Amino acid sequence: MELEVNGPKVYFELPFDLPDTAIFTMKNLITQTTVTLLASTLLLIIISLIVTRKLSKRPGGLQVVAEKLVTMLYNLVEDTMGKHNLKFAPYIGTLFLSSIVCTLLGMTNILRSATADLSVTAAWALVTTGMVWYNNIKNFGFSAWLKGFTEPIVVMTPMNIVSEIANPVSMAFRHFGNVAGGSVLTALIYGALTAASSALFSWLPGVLSEIPFLAAGIPAFLSVYFDLFSGFVQALVFSLLTMVYVGGACPPVEELPESRRKKLDKKAK
Amino acid sequence: MGLLNVIDKFENFVGVNFWTMIFAWINLLILYLFLKKLLFKPLKNMIDSRQKEIDGMYSDAESSRSEAERMKGEYEQLISHACEESEQILKDAHRRAQLKEEEILREANAEAARTIERAEEQIELEKKNAINQVKNEVSEMAIGIASAVIERDVNAEEHRDLINDFINNMGNEND
Repeated sequence: MELEVNGPKVYFELPFDLPDTAIFTMKNLITQTTVTLLASTLLLIIISLIVTRKLSKRPGGLQVVAEKLVTMLYNLVEDTMGKHNLKFAPYIGTLFLSSIVCTLLGMTNILRSATADLSVTAAWALVTTGMVWYNNIKNFGFSAWLKGFTEPIVVMTPMNIVSEIANPVSMAFRHFGNVAGGSVLTALIYGALTAASSALFSWLPGVLSEIPFLAAGIPAFLSVYFDLFSGFVQALVFSLLTMVYVGGACPPVEELPESRRKKLDKKAK
Repeated sequence: MGLLNVIDKFENFVGVNFWTMIFAWINLLILYLFLKKLLFKPLKNMIDSRQKEIDGMYSDAESSRSEAERMKGEYEQLISHACEESEQILKDAHRRAQLKEEEILREANAEAARTIERAEEQIELEKKNAINQVKNEVSEMAIGIASAVIERDVNAEEHRDLINDFINNMGNEND
Protein backbone atom coordinates (compact mmCIF):
# COMPACT_ATOMS: atom_id res chain seq x y z
CA MET A 1 0.00 0.00 0.00
CA GLU A 2 0.93 3.61 -0.42
CA LEU A 3 0.93 6.50 2.05
CA GLU A 4 0.80 10.03 0.75
CA VAL A 5 1.83 13.02 2.85
CA ASN A 6 0.11 16.03 1.38
CA GLY A 7 -0.59 19.61 2.20
CA PRO A 8 -4.14 20.90 2.33
CA LYS A 9 -6.43 20.06 -0.56
CA VAL A 10 -6.92 22.92 -3.00
CA TYR A 11 -10.57 23.66 -3.74
CA PHE A 12 -10.30 26.69 -6.01
CA GLU A 13 -7.36 28.19 -7.83
CA LEU A 14 -7.15 31.52 -9.57
CA PRO A 15 -6.88 31.36 -13.35
CA PHE A 16 -4.34 34.19 -13.51
CA ASP A 17 -0.61 33.91 -14.04
CA LEU A 18 0.43 34.20 -10.41
CA PRO A 19 3.54 32.95 -8.60
CA ASP A 20 3.08 29.29 -7.77
CA THR A 21 6.25 27.69 -6.48
CA ALA A 22 6.87 24.86 -4.03
CA ILE A 23 7.24 27.09 -0.98
CA PHE A 24 5.19 30.16 -1.92
CA THR A 25 1.97 30.28 -3.88
CA MET A 26 -0.57 32.95 -4.69
CA LYS A 27 -2.55 30.82 -7.09
CA ASN A 28 -4.54 28.61 -4.70
CA LEU A 29 -7.32 30.82 -3.35
CA ILE A 30 -9.46 28.39 -1.34
CA THR A 31 -7.96 25.37 0.36
CA GLN A 32 -8.94 22.97 3.14
CA THR A 33 -7.22 25.31 5.58
CA THR A 34 -9.48 28.19 4.57
CA VAL A 35 -12.53 26.08 5.36
CA THR A 36 -11.08 25.03 8.72
CA LEU A 37 -10.28 28.63 9.61
CA LEU A 38 -13.81 29.68 8.80
CA ALA A 39 -15.25 26.75 10.72
CA SER A 40 -13.10 27.50 13.78
CA THR A 41 -14.11 31.17 13.71
CA LEU A 42 -17.80 30.33 13.46
CA LEU A 43 -17.50 27.64 16.13
CA LEU A 44 -15.77 29.98 18.60
CA ILE A 45 -18.25 32.78 17.98
CA ILE A 46 -21.17 30.40 18.51
CA ILE A 47 -19.59 28.98 21.68
CA SER A 48 -18.95 32.45 23.07
CA LEU A 49 -22.53 33.45 22.26
CA ILE A 50 -23.81 30.39 24.12
CA VAL A 51 -21.54 30.98 27.10
CA THR A 52 -22.43 34.64 27.50
CA ARG A 53 -26.11 34.26 26.65
CA LYS A 54 -27.31 34.50 30.24
CA LEU A 55 -24.59 36.06 32.36
CA SER A 56 -25.54 36.52 35.98
CA LYS A 57 -23.87 37.31 39.27
CA ARG A 58 -24.87 33.84 40.44
CA PRO A 59 -23.45 31.80 37.60
CA GLY A 60 -24.64 28.49 36.24
CA GLY A 61 -22.28 25.62 35.42
CA LEU A 62 -21.16 26.86 32.02
CA GLN A 63 -20.47 30.37 33.24
CA VAL A 64 -18.44 29.08 36.18
CA VAL A 65 -16.16 27.15 33.82
CA ALA A 66 -15.86 30.11 31.44
CA GLU A 67 -15.11 32.49 34.31
CA LYS A 68 -12.49 30.13 35.69
CA LEU A 69 -10.79 29.97 32.30
CA VAL A 70 -10.93 33.75 31.83
CA THR A 71 -9.51 34.26 35.32
CA MET A 72 -6.70 31.80 34.52
CA LEU A 73 -5.99 33.67 31.28
CA TYR A 74 -5.83 37.07 32.99
CA ASN A 75 -3.65 35.65 35.77
CA LEU A 76 -1.30 34.10 33.23
CA VAL A 77 -1.04 37.35 31.28
CA GLU A 78 -0.45 39.29 34.49
CA ASP A 79 2.25 36.88 35.64
CA THR A 80 4.02 36.83 32.29
CA MET A 81 3.60 40.39 31.02
CA GLY A 82 2.82 42.39 34.14
CA LYS A 83 -0.29 44.18 35.34
CA HIS A 84 0.16 47.09 32.93
CA ASN A 85 -0.14 44.72 29.95
CA LEU A 86 -3.50 43.20 30.84
CA LYS A 87 -4.94 44.85 27.73
CA PHE A 88 -3.27 42.09 25.69
CA ALA A 89 -5.22 39.34 27.47
CA PRO A 90 -8.11 39.20 24.95
CA TYR A 91 -5.67 38.82 22.05
CA ILE A 92 -3.70 36.09 23.84
CA GLY A 93 -6.96 34.31 24.65
CA THR A 94 -8.10 34.58 21.03
CA LEU A 95 -4.78 33.25 19.80
CA PHE A 96 -4.88 30.34 22.24
CA LEU A 97 -8.48 29.42 21.48
CA SER A 98 -8.10 29.62 17.70
CA SER A 99 -4.89 27.63 17.84
CA ILE A 100 -6.43 24.84 19.88
CA VAL A 101 -9.68 24.77 17.91
CA CYS A 102 -7.85 24.86 14.55
CA THR A 103 -5.72 21.92 15.70
CA LEU A 104 -8.58 19.86 17.13
CA LEU A 105 -10.82 20.35 14.09
CA GLY A 106 -8.31 18.13 12.27
CA MET A 107 -9.47 15.23 14.44
CA THR A 108 -12.84 15.28 12.69
CA ASN A 109 -11.06 13.86 9.58
CA ILE A 110 -13.45 15.95 7.48
CA LEU A 111 -11.45 19.10 7.99
CA ARG A 112 -7.68 19.36 8.12
CA SER A 113 -5.96 21.03 11.07
CA ALA A 114 -5.43 24.63 10.05
CA THR A 115 -2.32 24.74 12.22
CA ALA A 116 -0.88 21.89 10.11
CA ASP A 117 -0.57 24.53 7.38
CA LEU A 118 2.55 26.67 7.61
CA SER A 119 0.65 29.63 6.15
CA VAL A 120 -1.53 29.95 9.25
CA THR A 121 1.20 29.60 11.86
CA ALA A 122 3.39 31.96 9.85
CA ALA A 123 0.60 34.51 9.69
CA TRP A 124 0.12 34.32 13.47
CA ALA A 125 3.87 34.49 14.13
CA LEU A 126 4.11 37.58 11.91
CA VAL A 127 1.35 39.21 13.93
CA THR A 128 3.41 38.59 17.07
CA THR A 129 6.52 40.06 15.44
CA GLY A 130 4.51 43.02 14.19
CA MET A 131 3.23 43.64 17.72
CA VAL A 132 6.75 43.39 19.12
CA TRP A 133 8.17 45.86 16.61
CA TYR A 134 5.25 48.25 16.91
CA ASN A 135 5.45 48.32 20.70
CA ASN A 136 9.25 48.57 20.70
CA ILE A 137 9.11 51.61 18.41
CA LYS A 138 6.20 53.10 20.35
CA ASN A 139 7.84 52.69 23.75
CA PHE A 140 11.54 53.19 23.01
CA GLY A 141 11.48 55.24 19.82
CA PHE A 142 12.53 54.24 16.30
CA SER A 143 16.22 55.16 16.64
CA ALA A 144 16.52 53.43 20.00
CA TRP A 145 14.94 50.31 18.51
CA LEU A 146 17.39 50.31 15.59
CA LYS A 147 20.25 51.03 17.95
CA GLY A 148 19.19 48.02 20.01
CA PHE A 149 20.43 45.76 17.19
CA THR A 150 24.01 46.93 17.70
CA GLU A 151 24.07 45.98 21.35
CA PRO A 152 25.99 44.84 23.28
CA ILE A 153 28.68 45.40 20.58
CA VAL A 154 28.44 46.45 16.94
CA VAL A 155 29.86 43.13 15.76
CA MET A 156 26.73 41.41 17.04
CA THR A 157 24.45 43.30 14.63
CA PRO A 158 24.08 40.50 12.04
CA MET A 159 23.40 38.00 14.82
CA ASN A 160 20.75 40.24 16.32
CA ILE A 161 19.05 40.69 12.96
CA VAL A 162 19.12 36.93 12.36
CA SER A 163 17.66 36.25 15.80
CA GLU A 164 14.96 38.85 15.21
CA ILE A 165 13.98 37.03 12.00
CA ALA A 166 14.43 33.61 13.60
CA ASN A 167 11.82 34.36 16.25
CA PRO A 168 8.74 34.28 13.99
CA VAL A 169 10.24 31.58 11.81
CA SER A 170 10.88 29.27 14.75
CA MET A 171 7.45 30.00 16.25
CA ALA A 172 5.72 29.25 12.96
CA PHE A 173 7.69 26.08 12.25
CA ARG A 174 7.42 24.80 15.82
CA HIS A 175 3.65 24.99 15.84
CA PHE A 176 3.25 23.77 12.29
CA GLY A 177 5.78 20.95 12.74
CA ASN A 178 4.23 19.58 15.92
CA VAL A 179 0.69 19.50 14.61
CA ALA A 180 1.55 18.34 11.07
CA GLY A 181 4.04 15.82 12.41
CA GLY A 182 1.41 14.46 14.76
CA SER A 183 -1.08 13.99 11.95
CA VAL A 184 1.57 12.36 9.76
CA LEU A 185 2.50 10.03 12.59
CA THR A 186 -1.14 9.14 13.18
CA ALA A 187 -1.57 8.43 9.45
CA LEU A 188 1.57 6.30 9.44
CA ILE A 189 0.41 4.29 12.44
CA TYR A 190 -2.98 3.76 10.83
CA GLY A 191 -1.24 2.54 7.66
CA ALA A 192 1.12 0.28 9.57
CA LEU A 193 -1.66 -1.22 11.67
CA THR A 194 -3.83 -1.75 8.60
CA ALA A 195 -0.98 -3.50 6.84
CA ALA A 196 -0.25 -5.61 9.90
CA SER A 197 -3.85 -6.68 10.31
CA SER A 198 -4.25 -7.55 6.64
CA ALA A 199 -1.15 -9.70 6.98
CA LEU A 200 -2.45 -11.34 10.18
CA PHE A 201 -6.06 -11.86 9.23
CA SER A 202 -5.75 -12.66 5.50
CA TRP A 203 -6.92 -16.21 6.21
CA LEU A 204 -10.38 -14.97 7.25
CA PRO A 205 -13.12 -15.51 4.69
CA GLY A 206 -14.54 -12.79 2.45
CA VAL A 207 -14.83 -9.19 3.61
CA LEU A 208 -13.59 -10.01 7.11
CA SER A 209 -10.01 -10.25 5.84
CA GLU A 210 -10.14 -6.64 4.73
CA ILE A 211 -11.21 -5.20 8.10
CA PRO A 212 -8.16 -3.64 9.84
CA PHE A 213 -8.88 -4.99 13.34
CA LEU A 214 -5.58 -3.74 14.77
CA ALA A 215 -6.33 -0.17 13.71
CA ALA A 216 -9.20 0.00 16.19
CA GLY A 217 -8.23 1.34 19.61
CA ILE A 218 -4.47 1.83 19.52
CA PRO A 219 -4.50 4.99 17.34
CA ALA A 220 -7.05 6.54 19.69
CA PHE A 221 -4.53 6.52 22.56
CA LEU A 222 -1.82 7.90 20.33
CA SER A 223 -4.23 10.54 19.08
CA VAL A 224 -4.84 11.67 22.65
CA TYR A 225 -1.16 12.50 22.83
CA PHE A 226 -0.41 13.70 19.29
CA ASP A 227 -3.60 15.69 18.73
CA LEU A 228 -5.13 16.60 22.08
CA PHE A 229 -2.06 16.99 24.31
CA SER A 230 0.28 18.25 21.62
CA GLY A 231 -2.36 20.65 20.31
CA PHE A 232 -2.89 22.05 23.79
CA VAL A 233 0.83 22.34 24.51
CA GLN A 234 1.55 24.02 21.17
CA ALA A 235 -1.27 26.51 21.66
CA LEU A 236 0.11 27.28 25.12
CA VAL A 237 3.69 27.57 23.84
CA PHE A 238 2.67 29.87 21.00
CA SER A 239 0.64 32.09 23.33
CA LEU A 240 3.38 32.11 25.96
CA LEU A 241 6.05 33.08 23.45
CA THR A 242 3.82 35.85 22.14
CA MET A 243 3.33 37.06 25.72
CA VAL A 244 7.05 36.97 26.47
CA TYR A 245 8.09 38.77 23.26
CA VAL A 246 5.36 41.42 23.40
CA GLY A 247 5.81 41.79 27.17
CA GLY A 248 9.52 42.44 26.58
CA ALA A 249 8.61 45.25 24.20
CA CYS A 250 6.18 46.75 26.75
CA PRO A 251 8.06 47.29 30.01
CA PRO A 252 6.36 49.18 32.84
CA VAL A 253 6.45 52.95 32.28
CA GLU A 254 8.79 53.34 35.28
CA GLU A 255 11.46 51.26 33.54
CA LEU A 256 11.52 53.37 30.39
CA PRO A 257 14.29 55.97 29.95
CA GLU A 258 13.44 59.38 31.37
CA SER A 259 13.30 61.12 27.98
CA ARG A 260 10.92 58.51 26.53
CA ARG A 261 8.62 58.77 29.51
CA LYS A 262 8.27 62.52 29.06
CA LYS A 263 7.54 62.10 25.34
CA LEU A 264 4.89 59.44 26.01
CA ASP A 265 3.29 61.62 28.69
CA LYS A 266 3.10 64.50 26.22
CA LYS A 267 1.54 62.20 23.62
CA ALA A 268 -1.00 60.92 26.13
CA LYS A 269 -2.07 64.50 26.79
CA MET B 1 -14.85 27.57 -16.07
CA GLY B 2 -15.11 31.13 -14.92
CA LEU B 3 -12.93 32.89 -12.37
CA LEU B 4 -12.56 29.95 -10.01
CA ASN B 5 -11.50 26.50 -11.14
CA VAL B 6 -12.71 23.43 -9.29
CA ILE B 7 -9.72 21.17 -9.29
CA ASP B 8 -8.33 18.09 -7.64
CA LYS B 9 -4.88 18.84 -6.32
CA PHE B 10 -2.99 19.20 -3.06
CA GLU B 11 -0.70 21.94 -1.85
CA ASN B 12 2.81 21.19 -0.79
CA PHE B 13 3.20 19.85 2.75
CA VAL B 14 5.58 22.65 3.66
CA GLY B 15 4.69 25.85 1.91
CA VAL B 16 3.16 29.27 2.38
CA ASN B 17 -0.04 30.21 0.63
CA PHE B 18 -0.45 33.96 0.35
CA TRP B 19 -4.26 33.80 0.40
CA THR B 20 -4.37 31.42 3.37
CA MET B 21 -2.24 33.90 5.29
CA ILE B 22 -4.62 36.71 4.40
CA PHE B 23 -7.56 34.56 5.51
CA ALA B 24 -5.75 33.64 8.72
CA TRP B 25 -5.23 37.34 9.49
CA ILE B 26 -8.83 38.23 8.69
CA ASN B 27 -10.13 35.35 10.80
CA LEU B 28 -7.83 36.26 13.68
CA LEU B 29 -8.93 39.90 13.54
CA ILE B 30 -12.64 39.02 13.39
CA LEU B 31 -12.26 36.45 16.17
CA TYR B 32 -10.28 38.92 18.29
CA LEU B 33 -12.92 41.62 17.94
CA PHE B 34 -15.79 39.21 18.52
CA LEU B 35 -14.30 37.33 21.46
CA LYS B 36 -13.10 40.54 23.08
CA LYS B 37 -16.57 42.05 22.89
CA LEU B 38 -18.61 38.89 23.42
CA LEU B 39 -16.54 36.71 25.71
CA PHE B 40 -13.62 38.29 27.51
CA LYS B 41 -14.97 41.74 28.35
CA PRO B 42 -18.40 40.60 29.66
CA LEU B 43 -16.92 37.75 31.68
CA LYS B 44 -14.11 39.89 33.06
CA ASN B 45 -16.57 42.65 33.96
CA MET B 46 -18.81 40.09 35.64
CA ILE B 47 -15.89 38.67 37.65
CA ASP B 48 -14.69 42.14 38.62
CA SER B 49 -18.12 43.41 39.61
CA ARG B 50 -18.75 40.29 41.67
CA GLN B 51 -15.37 40.70 43.32
CA LYS B 52 -16.22 44.32 44.07
CA GLU B 53 -19.60 43.30 45.50
CA ILE B 54 -17.99 40.65 47.71
CA ASP B 55 -15.39 43.14 48.91
CA GLY B 56 -18.20 45.59 49.68
CA MET B 57 -20.12 42.93 51.57
CA TYR B 58 -17.06 42.06 53.64
CA SER B 59 -16.35 45.68 54.51
CA ASP B 60 -20.05 46.21 55.32
CA ALA B 61 -20.03 43.19 57.60
CA GLU B 62 -16.84 44.44 59.22
CA SER B 63 -18.29 47.90 59.85
CA SER B 64 -21.56 46.55 61.25
CA ARG B 65 -19.58 44.17 63.46
CA SER B 66 -17.53 47.05 64.88
CA GLU B 67 -20.74 49.07 65.27
CA ALA B 68 -22.30 46.20 67.23
CA GLU B 69 -19.14 45.93 69.31
CA ARG B 70 -19.32 49.65 70.09
CA MET B 71 -23.00 49.44 71.03
CA LYS B 72 -22.34 46.41 73.18
CA GLY B 73 -19.66 48.35 75.06
CA GLU B 74 -22.05 51.26 75.46
CA TYR B 75 -24.79 49.05 76.84
CA GLU B 76 -22.41 47.31 79.18
CA GLN B 77 -21.35 50.69 80.50
CA LEU B 78 -24.99 51.73 80.86
CA ILE B 79 -25.84 48.54 82.72
CA SER B 80 -22.91 48.88 85.07
CA HIS B 81 -23.94 52.52 85.66
CA ALA B 82 -27.47 51.38 86.42
CA CYS B 83 -26.15 48.86 88.91
CA GLU B 84 -24.14 51.54 90.65
CA GLU B 85 -27.10 53.89 90.59
CA SER B 86 -29.49 51.36 92.10
CA GLU B 87 -26.96 50.60 94.78
CA GLN B 88 -26.65 54.32 95.46
CA ILE B 89 -30.43 54.67 95.64
CA LEU B 90 -30.67 51.78 98.07
CA LYS B 91 -27.93 53.25 100.18
CA ASP B 92 -29.62 56.63 100.19
CA ALA B 93 -32.94 55.14 101.12
CA HIS B 94 -31.28 53.19 103.89
CA ARG B 95 -29.61 56.28 105.22
CA ARG B 96 -32.76 58.34 105.01
CA ALA B 97 -34.69 55.63 106.80
CA GLN B 98 -32.09 55.57 109.52
CA LEU B 99 -32.24 59.33 109.88
CA LYS B 100 -36.00 59.20 110.00
CA GLU B 101 -35.88 56.49 112.60
CA GLU B 102 -33.50 58.47 114.72
CA GLU B 103 -35.64 61.57 114.36
CA ILE B 104 -38.78 59.73 115.29
CA LEU B 105 -37.06 58.25 118.28
CA ARG B 106 -35.73 61.60 119.28
CA GLU B 107 -39.10 63.23 118.91
CA ALA B 108 -40.77 60.46 120.82
CA ASN B 109 -38.25 60.85 123.59
CA ALA B 110 -38.74 64.59 123.66
CA GLU B 111 -42.50 64.17 123.64
CA ALA B 112 -42.27 61.72 126.48
CA ALA B 113 -40.00 64.05 128.37
CA ARG B 114 -42.40 66.95 127.79
CA THR B 115 -45.36 64.87 128.88
CA ILE B 116 -43.56 63.84 132.02
CA GLU B 117 -42.64 67.45 132.68
CA ARG B 118 -46.20 68.61 132.15
CA ALA B 119 -47.44 65.82 134.40
CA GLU B 120 -44.98 66.86 137.06
CA GLU B 121 -46.02 70.48 136.72
CA GLN B 122 -49.65 69.41 136.97
CA ILE B 123 -48.81 67.34 140.01
CA GLU B 124 -46.98 70.27 141.57
CA LEU B 125 -49.92 72.56 140.81
CA GLU B 126 -52.40 70.09 142.21
CA LYS B 127 -50.17 69.70 145.18
CA LYS B 128 -49.99 73.45 145.65
CA ASN B 129 -53.75 73.75 145.27
CA ALA B 130 -54.29 70.95 147.70
CA ILE B 131 -51.90 72.53 150.13
CA ASN B 132 -53.57 75.89 149.73
CA GLN B 133 -56.98 74.34 150.22
CA VAL B 134 -55.73 72.46 153.23
CA LYS B 135 -54.17 75.67 154.49
CA ASN B 136 -57.42 77.53 154.06
CA GLU B 137 -59.43 74.81 155.74
CA VAL B 138 -56.92 74.49 158.51
CA SER B 139 -56.93 78.22 158.99
CA GLU B 140 -60.76 78.18 159.06
CA MET B 141 -60.65 75.35 161.50
CA ALA B 142 -57.98 77.00 163.53
CA ILE B 143 -59.93 80.21 163.67
CA GLY B 144 -63.06 78.25 164.56
CA ILE B 145 -61.20 76.33 167.23
CA ALA B 146 -59.47 79.40 168.48
CA SER B 147 -62.71 81.41 168.68
CA ALA B 148 -64.32 78.56 170.49
CA VAL B 149 -61.40 78.40 172.86
CA ILE B 150 -61.22 82.02 173.66
CA GLU B 151 -64.94 82.34 173.33
CA ARG B 152 -64.90 85.39 171.42
CA ASP B 153 -64.67 86.30 167.97
CA VAL B 154 -61.29 86.36 166.71
CA ASN B 155 -60.98 89.12 164.32
CA ALA B 156 -60.21 87.19 161.30
CA GLU B 157 -58.71 90.19 159.63
CA GLU B 158 -56.51 90.94 162.61
CA HIS B 159 -55.18 87.52 163.16
CA ARG B 160 -55.03 86.10 159.72
CA ASP B 161 -51.39 86.90 159.42
CA LEU B 162 -50.63 85.26 162.68
CA ILE B 163 -52.50 82.12 161.66
CA ASN B 164 -50.94 81.98 158.31
CA ASP B 165 -47.50 82.15 159.86
CA PHE B 166 -48.43 79.34 162.09
CA ILE B 167 -49.69 77.22 159.26
CA ASN B 168 -46.70 77.94 157.18
CA ASN B 169 -44.42 76.93 159.99
CA MET B 170 -46.45 73.81 160.45
CA GLY B 171 -46.29 73.06 156.76
CA ASN B 172 -42.56 73.60 156.74
CA GLU B 173 -42.10 71.27 159.65
CA ASN B 174 -44.12 68.71 157.73
CA ASP B 175 -41.95 68.93 154.63
